[in-house]
Amino acid sequence: MDPNQNDYHISFFKPTTPQAKWNRNLAIKLILIWAVAVFGFHFLLRAIEKPTPEETYVKYEQVWESISSESATTDEMQVFANTTLSVLGKVFIKPDEKSALTNALSWTTFQLADSSQKALLQEQLAGFEKLKSEDISISDPAYISAKDKLSSLASGIIGLDRSDVRSKLISVSLSSAQLESFSETSRSMIPTIMSTYLIHNQSVLTDFIFLGFPFHYFYTAVFLLILFVFLCWLYCVRVDAMNVKLDIEE
Amino acid sequence: MKKILLPIILILTPSLLFAAGASTQLEGGFKVGPAIILITILCVFVLVGILFRAKDTADFYAAGRGISRVGSGMAIASNWMSAASFLGMAALMYGAGYHGLAYVVGWTGGYVLLLILMAGQIRKYGKYTAADFIGDRYYSQGLRAVGAIIAILISISYCVGQFGGIGLMFKWILGLDYAAAVIIGGAVVLAYTLISGMLGVTKNMQIQYVIIIVSFLIPLFILTFKFDYFWVLPQIGYGSVVTDIVNGVPLAETNQLFNSLGHEYAMVPAPEYAMPWDPATGQTFFQWIAIAFSLMIGTAGLPHVIQRFYVVPKARDARWSVVWGLFFICVLYWSAPAYAAFGKILSANPEVGKLAKDAIVVYTAQLGNVNPLIVGLLAAGGVSAAFSTVSGLLVAGSSAFAHDLYVKIINPNSSPKKQLLMARLGTILMAVIVTLLALKNWALIGQLVAIAFSLAGVTIFPLFLLGIWWSGSNKQGAIAGLIAGGLVSVIALTYFIAGKEGVTLPYHEFVNYWLGAWYFAWIGAPLAIVANIVVSKLTPPTPLEIRKFLVLNVHS
Repeated sequence: MDPNQNDYHISFFKPTTPQAKWNRNLAIKLILIWAVAVFGFHFLLRAIEKPTPEETYVKYEQVWESISSESATTDEMQVFANTTLSVLGKVFIKPDEKSALTNALSWTTFQLADSSQKALLQEQLAGFEKLKSEDISISDPAYISAKDKLSSLASGIIGLDRSDVRSKLISVSLSSAQLESFSETSRSMIPTIMSTYLIHNQSVLTDFIFLGFPFHYFYTAVFLLILFVFLCWLYCVRVDAMNVKLDIEE
Repeated sequence: MKKILLPIILILTPSLLFAAGASTQLEGGFKVGPAIILITILCVFVLVGILFRAKDTADFYAAGRGISRVGSGMAIASNWMSAASFLGMAALMYGAGYHGLAYVVGWTGGYVLLLILMAGQIRKYGKYTAADFIGDRYYSQGLRAVGAIIAILISISYCVGQFGGIGLMFKWILGLDYAAAVIIGGAVVLAYTLISGMLGVTKNMQIQYVIIIVSFLIPLFILTFKFDYFWVLPQIGYGSVVTDIVNGVPLAETNQLFNSLGHEYAMVPAPEYAMPWDPATGQTFFQWIAIAFSLMIGTAGLPHVIQRFYVVPKARDARWSVVWGLFFICVLYWSAPAYAAFGKILSANPEVGKLAKDAIVVYTAQLGNVNPLIVGLLAAGGVSAAFSTVSGLLVAGSSAFAHDLYVKIINPNSSPKKQLLMARLGTILMAVIVTLLALKNWALIGQLVAIAFSLAGVTIFPLFLLGIWWSGSNKQGAIAGLIAGGLVSVIALTYFIAGKEGVTLPYHEFVNYWLGAWYFAWIGAPLAIVANIVVSKLTPPTPLEIRKFLVLNVHS
């Protein structure tokens, strides 16, 4: 560039020297790749996703009407108890939603119990809650014994196999204060809770497994970072090569 | 480096042996082994700080421009890998699943922008601080002062999350309450920064990187091995952990694997953990995109990151230091989601109780029955991560205070001794403010740090982007851009702070959603850029000497 022949103007979009034009073109190419890889992929993910219910949600839907109208059969009550337990074991549960689910599970379990089981359930649950309130260690034999007894009883009542992971949750998911009534507040919250926690945005990109990952997760958590490093490396190599070619000393 | 690493190993060995009997516990109590490891590491930092302490202002601000590009890359990584990376990122994914990956992508993808659009040019411009650049490029002492104040605000905002992380780790190791832990941790990092300056800081950062990455990876290898995943490369091996969370881990398949509390390694299916913007997380597609974008442009506008390019000898070194820096950063960022995934399964039993998300990295290692000493090293790594960043931030903030405000505006004839004194006073003042804010415990570490990114994204990023790439951007345009970006920041932060203090402002739901404190740059930055361009077009052009400098020095 001859300084006498220009007005010393710099603009990314209107480069005035071959070097600036080359640099602009390289930057645009790399930024386009970057933008499409990050945002393009996520817009695609958004565009093709479909609300996909878990199997548990399908089961819940089949029985909820009967539960809400209090005309459910024993089998339906058991299915409902099992579905609430599935949600209680989820990874993100808000406290008020947990409370509603606990109420639903406790009430259903109590309704399913026969008269002798009811007394036993109340007694064992009260005993277990007393132990919990005493701040006892969870490895204490008394605590473990009380928990196992309660778990065995409650699992039997709701028809849950002891080899099912949910049987490990039931003893700590029941509440003695909520055995006898299913409050209107809890009842009204259940449909929203179930759809929130049991329907997910899924697509072929989330269902396809790649190197053990759901594909979209691998793409975002692993591949994009590799791409970023590669783009940076490529930029440096290209700029170095151009500086040599144009004999530019920085 | 070898000269320094050997003593570390020698010092650590007896402490490891001494504390070998410590028992695993999730909360409370003084933990002897981890405490010794932490204290030893801190002593090494201070020692290195003294050995490589700043001798004059040039050393204090920019380490004498004598750092190699790999060394600078390590320093960039160490400077970058804060408590937000070490502790906060896993916390975000533990708390919000796939949504947390927006932070991973945002905090790494921004380096591509930074490199392509700025790194080499910033070095060629040849200033010490971000405010220096703003003051010179926009030929205004007033803008220099504003730039310095913004740099200080960003540094403070960034430091708050770090002090929170330091507090959590000190609390866990020393068995103190959170407030005491924040105050003690803050005092230690302040003392270290004051005696070392940036030369010591840069040397320390290279050591800190090694400590951070080693302490972070060892437990991960152990966890993947212990729970029967592909342990040779845990960054890939944990993919099966994510899939296990999605599909659930039946009791029959646990193969007698337990967490440290005796619960089976099992859980019900939880696709919400891995599925994008799942309703269960309460996060949306818009928020994912806005966070990733805001963090990316914020990365390219952070004063303490930009400042690192002043410490390399040439523009080429500045560029390559970004490549190295990003690679070193990614080693940790590929690994952090693994802690969140393991943490989810290991804490799936309700009996584990509610865990502090920001300490989930440490809790996961504990729940995975990793040796208490290695868990202690992990916690000490977390403190190192926070220290390395805080020291860089305090230097950047105090540079802005002493160099850009005091020397350039208030007292241009001050002696070097006086300048150094002002830099140190600035550091103390910042540390006190940060400690007070950290005690408020307003949000997760990662979220607090994200506020600094949005602030940088709406203020400094547009000034640098246009300042470097468009000579038409002038003083008036810069002022207009700052007003636009500043206005968005004030609205977003006012609503955020009011919400945290229990005050409900009008339209709070609308503002909190569209101008969330951790992602308001998604709209603030474009507004600032547009305002800058429009006003620049309508006002007198940039002076000839500035344009000439840009053409001949920055773009040649």
